Amino acid sequence: MFFQQKFRLLTTLIGLIFLTLLFNVYNLQTSDREASLVSVNKQTLDTFYIPSPRGEIFDANNNKLVSSSLEPHLFLNLRKINANNRSQYEQYIQYNFVDLGEDLIDEIFESEDLLVRIVNIQDLNFDNRQSLISLEAFEIFDFPVRKYEYNNIASHIVGYLGEPSFEDAKDFPLSINPNIVGKSGLERYYQDDLAGQPTEIIFKDDEIAQIIKGTPGKDIFTSLDIKLQTIATESLLQGIELANEKYETKNKVQKGAIVVLDIRTNEVISLVSLPDYNPNNFVDGISQTDFNKLNISGAFINYPIQGQYPPGSVFKVVAYWLAEQENIFPEGLSSRNQRINCKGSLSFGFDDGSQQVYNDWKEDGHGNVDLGSSIKQSCNVYFWDIALKIWRDYEGTTAESILQQYAKNLGFGTATNIDLPYEANGVVPDRELFENWAISQPERVRPEGWLGGDLMNLIIGQGAITSTPIQVANAYRTLISGNLSYPYINKNRESQSEESIGVTEDFVNFLLKDLNSVTNEGGTAHASFSILGNKVKDVGGKTGTAQNSGDKNNTSWFVGVDSVSNPRYIIATVVEEGGSGSAIAAPVTRRVIQSLREMEITPVKFGEITE
Amino acid sequence: MRERKITLLGPEGTNLTLLVIFLVLNFISWLTLFTLSDGLSLDLNNSLFRQIVFTLLSVILFFAITYISMDQINLYTFPFFGLITILLIFIFTTDPKEGVRRWYDLGVIDFQPSEYIKIALVLFISKCFVENYNKVYIGIFSLFSISLVFFQPDLGTTTLLIVITLSMFLVSDIRIRSIIFLLLLGGIFFFIFLEFGLINQYQLNRVTNFFETVDFAQSQSRLAISSGGITGQFFEVDKINQIFIPVQSTDFIFSAFAYQFGFLGVLLLFGLWIFFFYRVARIILTTNSEFEKFVLAGFSASLIFQIFINISTVIGVIPVTGMPFPLLSLGGSSIIATAVIFGIINRIFIENNVVI
Repeated sequence: MFFQQKFRLLTTLIGLIFLTLLFNVYNLQTSDREASLVSVNKQTLDTFYIPSPRGEIFDANNNKLVSSSLEPHLFLNLRKINANNRSQYEQYIQYNFVDLGEDLIDEIFESEDLLVRIVNIQDLNFDNRQSLISLEAFEIFDFPVRKYEYNNIASHIVGYLGEPSFEDAKDFPLSINPNIVGKSGLERYYQDDLAGQPTEIIFKDDEIAQIIKGTPGKDIFTSLDIKLQTIATESLLQGIELANEKYETKNKVQKGAIVVLDIRTNEVISLVSLPDYNPNNFVDGISQTDFNKLNISGAFINYPIQGQYPPGSVFKVVAYWLAEQENIFPEGLSSRNQRINCKGSLSFGFDDGSQQVYNDWKEDGHGNVDLGSSIKQSCNVYFWDIALKIWRDYEGTTAESILQQYAKNLGFGTATNIDLPYEANGVVPDRELFENWAISQPERVRPEGWLGGDLMNLIIGQGAITSTPIQVANAYRTLISGNLSYPYINKNRESQSEESIGVTEDFVNFLLKDLNSVTNEGGTAHASFSILGNKVKDVGGKTGTAQNSGDKNNTSWFVGVDSVSNPRYIIATVVEEGGSGSAIAAPVTRRVIQSLREMEITPVKFGEITE
Repeated sequence: MRERKITLLGPEGTNLTLLVIFLVLNFISWLTLFTLSDGLSLDLNNSLFRQIVFTLLSVILFFAITYISMDQINLYTFPFFGLITILLIFIFTTDPKEGVRRWYDLGVIDFQPSEYIKIALVLFISKCFVENYNKVYIGIFSLFSISLVFFQPDLGTTTLLIVITLSMFLVSDIRIRSIIFLLLLGGIFFFIFLEFGLINQYQLNRVTNFFETVDFAQSQSRLAISSGGITGQFFEVDKINQIFIPVQSTDFIFSAFAYQFGFLGVLLLFGLWIFFFYRVARIILTTNSEFEKFVLAGFSASLIFQIFINISTVIGVIPVTGMPFPLLSLGGSSIIATAVIFGIINRIFIENNVVI
């Protein structure tokens, strides 16, 4: 039963409450208004931001590569510091925290921030902390501490942190408030995911009025194998050391890169760049001299994705694919099995009547070679013949750039779009590019423009072509898997498009067989791989020795595949000024393959000198 | 009820006053959100655009509900109440967000069953009263679903649900001393929870701390309301930054409204709501259906006390409870739930032949 009487009573009561609230609001908006406007004008509200713990970074086996933890820090509320109490606080800090130098203490008091972080007080006991905050200008807040668990290992992948520069602020506006940003590596590429929302500390005049807790950043799960990364770094260091021992060159060898890609998924398993740095040194700021030293040594360059080198003979695989696909073989040949006789040099004439002689790296020549054995022995003459064939058949037509087109289909000339910042594009030269350069950088090209000799240079990976180690690794991966895609480190990176390049299974089998011959008897890398014993029959690769202009020693290249019967990983190694690919890069790669295939790991030994 | 033609806008006789009030209140919300956001952009992350989308959805829902007759609503009351209660139970299996379990994550939007228990509880109690079930059992059932909300924890909604239940009991034929008994029972439960540590210390602190310190957000929101004056600052966006109010677009939106549109704006807002409640009260007194009387009384209690609690919080006379202002605060769940209430009320108006 509904009781009308009680309902009427209740309605009256509600009406009264309504009126009371309305009256309250009316009072606020009329009689209190003047006073409120004055206090609004007088009050200054400012916000200080404390970064939230950044997301942590893990490798494929759930090893923590980068960790974050909240630790209590002592802060000074500068709004409460005045001429009277300043010296008292200065003395207190000097006395209690002797590690802080006088300069640093001056800096604290000269800061224009609301709060200044003084020191980590994780190790202070409760009583000491209490006595600190009994002083009214001291505050204790949790501040995130970033730790790079493996120090220098994988430093270029994870990157390092710093205060945002003007440019950083443009790229990551949200990093301005917490005043911290990823300067390189994953820390930069995934800055917005990793950073989270900073905690806001709101000041009303000199008092902290409210604290709005932020949210921590998202973790990143990578495809890296930190164990392999460690072994690969060691191997590269050994290779560099070996090169310094063996060669008497003007420049000290110190730069190199290794890329390990999973052929099936294109996950990056390892990415080594030397020289490296310890990201932990940047956490509390690094001195300008230390920074400059690292900068001059080239430690901030991520060579696997930023080092642009002529690829040398590892590039021959492009012409290898083209020859099979387009049936373009040296003049007079029509299949991969027919041979030419390599006499160690090639002399030929062009339509304009000029006569030229090109010398192979092996003066006596390679004898009778077909497509496969010219990969095995890295015979230049065979590939020059292919270039001549292209030039003579297609010069001046759109088809003259067919080699470049094949190179671009494998990803040369554009960044691979790996999830790391500052990746370089490399260069695949053609007539058009030379014409552009003739205007923009005339010192780089001859006045005649693009000539047959340029194509002959290009086919063996020399001349104007440059590529990054990851481009080369990705190109081999693309040929073996049949799909062009981008390499990635973050396992949760948004799904990617795979582009089929249309290779047949037969072709892949031939390619693997020929790569396998390189590491076997008679191949250019046999000396470096013979230590594998019987197992050498299942690995493969391609050596490369790229010439540099000036008095720089050659760039040492090797691209390896862990198994030809069941290819899973592509390994690309570069040692800048490391000389012959067979001598340095090949044994370095061999050591990485030993780790990948869980064989006994033997030291890097100098191989045979070839090109 | 006489037969009505079905038109594009629901059955003939949709109550225009109700619809206009609903739309004007939503429009006021857009204006206020406009002063708080960086303008309008066609992006669901833009709060104003999101609110407009939800308003449009809620208008559709309003008309859709008009098709359901009160007899059908009466019929589906128990299954509906049961369903929401089950959803409230299973919410304890979800991952807590910022320490509370309140939402089912449905991708684009979050589903918040405690918004719908407000409706389900009103229908449930009304039906039980009409069917003349034992009042003690009704009280126990209600208390059970309320305690589910309490343990989410959601103190604001719990208070509201208790108020709804009490006011519905008050207008029934129950004796006053039974209500006192019910209150005592609730009190005993509270202390049992307290004794066994089932009450969050955080919830208690919220109540007890209030008497020691004035909440910063509340003192700021008082300043904002006060600065509005009689006529308001009218779309002023620079100086309001000097006043800091957290969650200003949701729980504290009344302060932004009063700042921009002043006491005249407040009068308009109150006027619209009072007119709405006046129309509802008239139906309560004239309708012949007991079920409709209780449903209307329950819904009114729900809306009125949401408004009371919200304004009292914003002007600082009670502790911060986190209660949105119906149809003014930003938030999809709240608009949708309020649209359901308006839809049912509209149906009752139609069935009582009140069309203007």
